[in-house]
Amino acid sequence: MGKYQLGEFEEVVMLTVAILYGEAYGFAIIEEMEKRLNRKVSIGSLQTVLRRLEKKGLLESEFGEATKVRGGKRKRFFTVTSVGKKMLEEAKEQRLGLWNAIPNIALND
Amino acid sequence: MATDSTQIKSVIKFFRWFCNPDYAEDIEGDLMERFEKNKTISGDFRANMKLTTDVFRLFRPGIIRPLKGTQKLNSIDMLKHNILITFRNFRRYKGNFLINLIGLSTGLASVLFIYLWVSDELATDSYHQNSENLYQIRTNHKNSTGIKTGRGVPGLLLDEIENDLPEIKMAIATTDVHEYTLSTEDDSYKANGRFASEEYFNLFSFSSLKGNLKTALSDKANIVISASLAKRIFNSTDVIGKSLDWHFWNNSKSVIVSAVMNDIPSNSSEKFDFVMSWDYYHDDMITFKGWGNYYGRIMVQLHPDADVSATNEKIDQILIDKQGSDTVDTFLAKYGDQYLYNKYTNGVQAGGRIEYVWLFSIVAFFILGIACINFINLSTAKASHKTKEIGVKKTMGASRLALMGQYFTESVLLGFISLLVATALVWLLLPYFNIVTDKQITFQLDGLFILVAISIIFAVGILAGLYPALYLSGLKITESLKSGVLKGSGRAVGRKALVVFQFSISIILIVATWLIQEQMEFVQQKNLGYDRENVIYFEREGTLLEKSEEFLAELKSIPTIETASTSGFMIGGANSTGGIEWTGKGDDERIEFWETRLGANAIETLNIEMVAGRSFSNEFATESESIIFNEAAIKAMGISDPIGKTVKHYSGSKQIVGVVKDFNMLSLHTEIQPSFFLYRPDFTHFVMIKLQKGAEIATLRQIETVYESFNPDFPFKPKFLDQDYQALYASENKIADLSGYFSILAILISCLGLFGLSTFTIEKRQKEIGIRKVLGSGVLNIVYLLSRDFTAMVLIAIVIALPVSYYLGRSWLENFAYNITLGWSFFFLAGFGALVISWLTVGLQTINAALANPVDSLKDE
Repeated sequence: MGKYQLGEFEEVVMLTVAILYGEAYGFAIIEEMEKRLNRKVSIGSLQTVLRRLEKKGLLESEFGEATKVRGGKRKRFFTVTSVGKKMLEEAKEQRLGLWNAIPNIALND
Repeated sequence: MATDSTQIKSVIKFFRWFCNPDYAEDIEGDLMERFEKNKTISGDFRANMKLTTDVFRLFRPGIIRPLKGTQKLNSIDMLKHNILITFRNFRRYKGNFLINLIGLSTGLASVLFIYLWVSDELATDSYHQNSENLYQIRTNHKNSTGIKTGRGVPGLLLDEIENDLPEIKMAIATTDVHEYTLSTEDDSYKANGRFASEEYFNLFSFSSLKGNLKTALSDKANIVISASLAKRIFNSTDVIGKSLDWHFWNNSKSVIVSAVMNDIPSNSSEKFDFVMSWDYYHDDMITFKGWGNYYGRIMVQLHPDADVSATNEKIDQILIDKQGSDTVDTFLAKYGDQYLYNKYTNGVQAGGRIEYVWLFSIVAFFILGIACINFINLSTAKASHKTKEIGVKKTMGASRLALMGQYFTESVLLGFISLLVATALVWLLLPYFNIVTDKQITFQLDGLFILVAISIIFAVGILAGLYPALYLSGLKITESLKSGVLKGSGRAVGRKALVVFQFSISIILIVATWLIQEQMEFVQQKNLGYDRENVIYFEREGTLLEKSEEFLAELKSIPTIETASTSGFMIGGANSTGGIEWTGKGDDERIEFWETRLGANAIETLNIEMVAGRSFSNEFATESESIIFNEAAIKAMGISDPIGKTVKHYSGSKQIVGVVKDFNMLSLHTEIQPSFFLYRPDFTHFVMIKLQKGAEIATLRQIETVYESFNPDFPFKPKFLDQDYQALYASENKIADLSGYFSILAILISCLGLFGLSTFTIEKRQKEIGIRKVLGSGVLNIVYLLSRDFTAMVLIAIVIALPVSYYLGRSWLENFAYNITLGWSFFFLAGFGALVISWLTVGLQTINAALANPVDSLKDE
């Protein structure tokens, strides 16, 4: 069993969940991603990724209180688990490692 | 606005339907939040559209509810539950289960056997690659007595059609298969062979083991032998180039093995072990090559787009031109069809074996039906045991479909188990079946068989399960939960009708079997006008050709030989001719006679009775100019006071010296036909000997000793005349055996069902019987009470079955020119037999029930 590698979209979703600490539910995550990254995110693709990450134990979730908005439906708040946090850090270190390994001359044009 | 909100509603409804219920709530919340926001930014319409696209983009794996969701899980669970209940039912009602299992599995086994038999019959001769366009030229001979269909055509026809008809791609001539003698320097062998023209192996797809079959018959001195014959003679198949001597009567020929073919497949209608050159046969053996001489068998391969009837007209025209008259019509019969469609009446195709194929397919269907009826009857009869279960299930909300599902599960499962048992039975019994049917059927679990098996399972499941499923699932909740007798289940008209049906079919089968067996017996006992018991014959070969008189003289010293002679008499007839002219013959009049050559004493050996004149004798020098007719021939020619008159035979004028009583050398399918005998001891093919009764084996040994002293180079292989006679009825005899087995099965299965039903009825009426006994009813009274119903059913079945079987029996007997009369005793006995069998079936239980102590049945309530 190989080590699980985060995909780009998954990484972005996890980072956004981390940014919105405590307030990360579906719609808010989409708003945040659209605002910060200037990209369109559909509910479908986001939800699929959220559920997948949850199944892998990188995210966890719990229901919030019911409110009058949203047709009385509860929000599901996601948080990054410690495993997820480790994954994110690893991903970051790998990137940094790669960045550091680039000789200066390569990107000077 | 209204339309918008309905759109949203339906979109959300759709979302709720497909979404994993665990996720539905919060995602729906997100959807709504986004929708509200979009509405404020870009208006209702846009927001609606966005919501819709969002929902559709959510329709993807990961969001969609998994298959193990409630609905699907339920149906799988239901199936599990149904199977569980089914097994519990099997275990609880072991008797019923066994009756059903035995009935269905024997029924299925017979269906499988019939399937194997039918598919083997249908596959006969169909393995030739050219099969689609392969035809045999056959002939209809127009007679004053009607049209006679033959296989023979003038051998000269081959050259004509090969050159002149563009429709014909390939044409070959061949002969019928005959037993000849083949010899090496050391030994001699009898083997079946035929002659065939060079392209024979191009037309027919027989496979080669050694050598090239396509060119193997190019020389007159070539012979192709089968692998098994090669092993028999040479003990090896590597025998190309080896020489053999072929003998027939006064011909012999040295031949060289040019190829070895694989043995003829078992599903071939003709089996032979060697093939020799038609050119040799035609050029060197046929001395009289005329257009009126039908010694050839011609097969043609037509071009795929050729018009069959137009081609035939051209062939017919050739025959008319060459013969100068139109007394014989040709027609093209599909080669592959001839095995099954082998009967012609008055020149018209009139079925043949295909009728038996149909017959047995129908029998298979009925046997399966009878077995299914057992299941139907027993499960509806047992309905009273299940009413509570059904009531409870319905109260809990089980739909009618779900309940039907349970009964279908039960019947399909039973069908499956029965099929397993049936397959095992077929596998075990196949060798015996092959003996009975004289086939070499192998049992393969190929795709087709599995397909057939699966469709049979479902057919049985649905056939047997439909009625119980509809009946039981239709019970009303209140009625089924109320204690008490179920309405209708006691009388059960439907059930009785089914029993009547079962017994009708069984009785029809019994009558049919009996009839077939009686007729076959009749045929075998029938006095045909000649004596076939204890008459043996063998071919005149080698030294017997010249020294037959000495040989016959030597045989006289064996006291247990009654008479011996040379003879050309053959059961089934050998040669027929229209070449007889008599005074008073009309120009268009034409009678086909059977021509038989005999030696002195032959008429005595065959014990054919003389009605006028004398028999042949070797004391007259001019006996070869004598002729003896049978009564039918004299009558057909219309000659009065025939003795001493002369007729013109194609070989010269002959004087009538005697008239014999009519005899039938064909099978009893045909009437006695005109025939005559010629005195030609040198041209007879056989030595025929009548043995004294009781000492056959010892006499045969003595004959063999004499034979070997005369003819050491040839094997002594005598045949019994009555065996040949029986071979004429081989297919009928097999049918008789088969139908016997199947009708026994049918009645057994029916009785099983009756047994189950009666057990059930008696069980239900136990209390009634007890009360009746307490009130003073006698044992006989109760037996009468209990068997009255069954007797009535069987009686009705008899009334239905007898007219049907009378009609069927009569049409079968019409196949024979001579048949037994259909007396009422037949039907009476068959009906009575069925009644007795049904009484025996229910009798023991009935008597037991009647004898039981009423205390036992009444003590607890």
